[in-house]
Amino acid sequence: MKLTIYEVAKSLNLPINTIERWIRQGRIPIQKSSSVYIISEAVIKKWADSHNLSFSLSKKEANQDKNIVPENLMPAMQRGSVLYGIKGQTVEEVLKDATDNIQDSLIKNKEALFATLIERESLASTGIGNGVAIPHPRIPLSELRKNSAIITCFLEKPVEFGAVDNQPVFIMFILLSISVKTHLHLLSRLSFCVRNKLFIEFLKTSPAPDALYTKISDYEEELDRADNF
Amino acid sequence: MHCTLKYLIMRKNSTGQTTFRRDYMNIFRSWHNPLRWNVFRSDDRLFLILIAVIVGSCSGLAAVALNWSIVTLFDRLHSFRHYWWAFTLPAIGAALSSLFLEKIVKEGAGHGVPEVVYSVSRYGGLLRFRSSFSRIISSCLTIGSGGSAGPEAPVVMSGAAIGSNIASFFSLNDRQRITIVGCGAAGAISSIFNAPVAGLVFSIEVILGEWKAGNIVPIAIASVAGTEISRLLQGNNIAFAHHNFDISFFDIGACFGLAVFTAVVSIFLTRCLKIVRGVSGKIQIPLWLRAAAGGCAVGIIGIFLPVVLGEGYHSIGNMINGTFAKGILFVAIALLAKIFATSLTLGTGGSGGIFAPCLVIGSLAGLTYYRALAAIWPSLSWINEGCYALLGMAGLISGMLQAPLTGIFLIVEITGGYNVILPLLIVSSLSTTLCHYIEPASFYLKALVAKGQLLRPGTDARVLSDLSVIELLERDCLTVNQNMRLGEFINVIKKSKRNLFPVEDEKTGRFLGLINLDKIRSYIFNPGLYDAVFLWQIMDSDADKIFPDDDLAEVLNIMDRKHLFSIPVVANNKFIGMISKSTLLDKYRKELMVQTLD
Repeated sequence: MKLTIYEVAKSLNLPINTIERWIRQGRIPIQKSSSVYIISEAVIKKWADSHNLSFSLSKKEANQDKNIVPENLMPAMQRGSVLYGIKGQTVEEVLKDATDNIQDSLIKNKEALFATLIERESLASTGIGNGVAIPHPRIPLSELRKNSAIITCFLEKPVEFGAVDNQPVFIMFILLSISVKTHLHLLSRLSFCVRNKLFIEFLKTSPAPDALYTKISDYEEELDRADNF
Repeated sequence: MHCTLKYLIMRKNSTGQTTFRRDYMNIFRSWHNPLRWNVFRSDDRLFLILIAVIVGSCSGLAAVALNWSIVTLFDRLHSFRHYWWAFTLPAIGAALSSLFLEKIVKEGAGHGVPEVVYSVSRYGGLLRFRSSFSRIISSCLTIGSGGSAGPEAPVVMSGAAIGSNIASFFSLNDRQRITIVGCGAAGAISSIFNAPVAGLVFSIEVILGEWKAGNIVPIAIASVAGTEISRLLQGNNIAFAHHNFDISFFDIGACFGLAVFTAVVSIFLTRCLKIVRGVSGKIQIPLWLRAAAGGCAVGIIGIFLPVVLGEGYHSIGNMINGTFAKGILFVAIALLAKIFATSLTLGTGGSGGIFAPCLVIGSLAGLTYYRALAAIWPSLSWINEGCYALLGMAGLISGMLQAPLTGIFLIVEITGGYNVILPLLIVSSLSTTLCHYIEPASFYLKALVAKGQLLRPGTDARVLSDLSVIELLERDCLTVNQNMRLGEFINVIKKSKRNLFPVEDEKTGRFLGLINLDKIRSYIFNPGLYDAVFLWQIMDSDADKIFPDDDLAEVLNIMDRKHLFSIPVVANNKFIGMISKSTLLDKYRKELMVQTLD
């Protein structure tokens, strides 16, 4: 394989100016004759090895890491589906009813999920105000394989949740995420939406899933615009 | 010339032609770039040795030529010495040499060694072609006419310039060129003294400052070549052959005293040179007139004491053989006179080196010391004065050049024997140490050290001078403009990975200042200010900035003084990136590893 000095510079993680200077000073085993560089990969590798410099040609790994952007609310909400008329008088009861109603395709071990949600709830209430609660497990669920999900649960009647503003909670978004990073990403997007008074009013009407998704995607567009500012 | 050739070939190639002709052209093109030949591509050592032979021979030839022309000129002018106007001869020589350097080749006065060392440490040993003969001609004029200076430094410069140009001709890289420059210097010294080891040691100790096998082998070969050329042309003469010395215990003891004495003389000579240079620098007359005045003064001293004139090898021979004029007072006066003559010649702008005057002054110092000893303790049987003259030379060379090994090997070789090695070691090393206390930098390198330009390989200064600001530039900074509101700026902060934000003028792109997140933390959490505050209100408009051509050592100084970790780089009033200490450490370490491991 023929290397260019740009690739050498990249592999050594050094600016091109440094490589050019090293060639001029004769510190790196690359010869320059008129305008052609004579580069041998094996020689460069050996040289880098003997000088304790890291030399790695693979550029793909680095790119992959950058491309992972946590997914947005919409797909997670669609995956989690919307539940209406969750019954119960207390936090435990509504959470129990909600977890029992989650699709089997998403979560099989309902008891375990319920236990972790209660565990988190006992640390501090997930009621974030305006009648909204975002229950979630403390650590990412191992049962979720690939994707995060948000289960939207409209309660039959508001429940005292111990929320920050002491308002009874009428809607819960059960946030199940595959990693802490995704969790924070989804949580920050969700809290952006529910801070909006109009959205709360809209939620109080117990909208149909499609109407909810449309509204969410509107807000997400707004968020993306702000991000790309 | 080969540039036009290359152009011609490239143009012909691009028009397309038969394979045969292209092959022919390729061979033609590669002849001056033999590193592309398969034999040399794998390992350049063999090739460097080959070049070292050529360079060593060339600089050896230059040394022989200079030696011959000085002797010839000195002998020709000898017949005029008895005229009353003879004292103007050194003046005419010095003036001509100064005019030649200033007007014709346009080079600075001086002996040239600092220029070589500077070029080696800063420009990869690049020297101008004209340097390879300019100093030979100018120093020939100065010394041949009777000025008190030495031909060694000029010939070192010539040898180095020859090496540099040959290296450039073969398109060698900097590392190889530096080695070849060292070869040139070694060949010159080896040839002029018929002393190969001294040439090798001088080149490495003074010129390159780096003891590495990669340097030593080619330089040794060049020394051999230079010496061989000198022996072929001038015969294998030991410059100052002498009888065997029988060194007694008392003599070893006396050496300590001699070391102190030679150190004192070295420092005296250094100070005299400095004073004369300072005084002559203040007089506002043309350079050549200044040199002429110095030459005139030397000529007047020369009327009374002809021993001070010229390089003085003849009188050294006399001193070693014990045939020098008798009397302690006369020798002491001659010692002082030679010191003054040398200061006047070199300090006023005459062209020549300090090497030969050092040898003369050293042997006079040794002689003075011996005669003083003999006068104080006449009962003890000291060995002859020739031995002390020898030791004095070593002491002075070591003290002036602060290169003890050069002094030791030179004396051993030019006197042809190891039997003085014990006192020689004592005098050389002690004299170097003592001089180092009072004059930390050697005569050759003083000017460079004063300017902070002595960059020995593997040192901090060298690594910093090799790295440039551009190589350390971090370009992942987000810029903002001055009329942005704090609220919008918050969004920029969200996406940034750094906590410094350069502010630019939105129209012209001019760099206006810097926003440091640490300093505005109290505002950014106050949403009430988001629409009320503009960035020009919170930016630091007289933030420190640097330019791409700035010296890295200076940049670090600023950062240390102001406790900064990052500093913006500005070119043409525009922000181009940041420099941070963390990146610097990373690059610095890599540079150090590459420079020191070989």
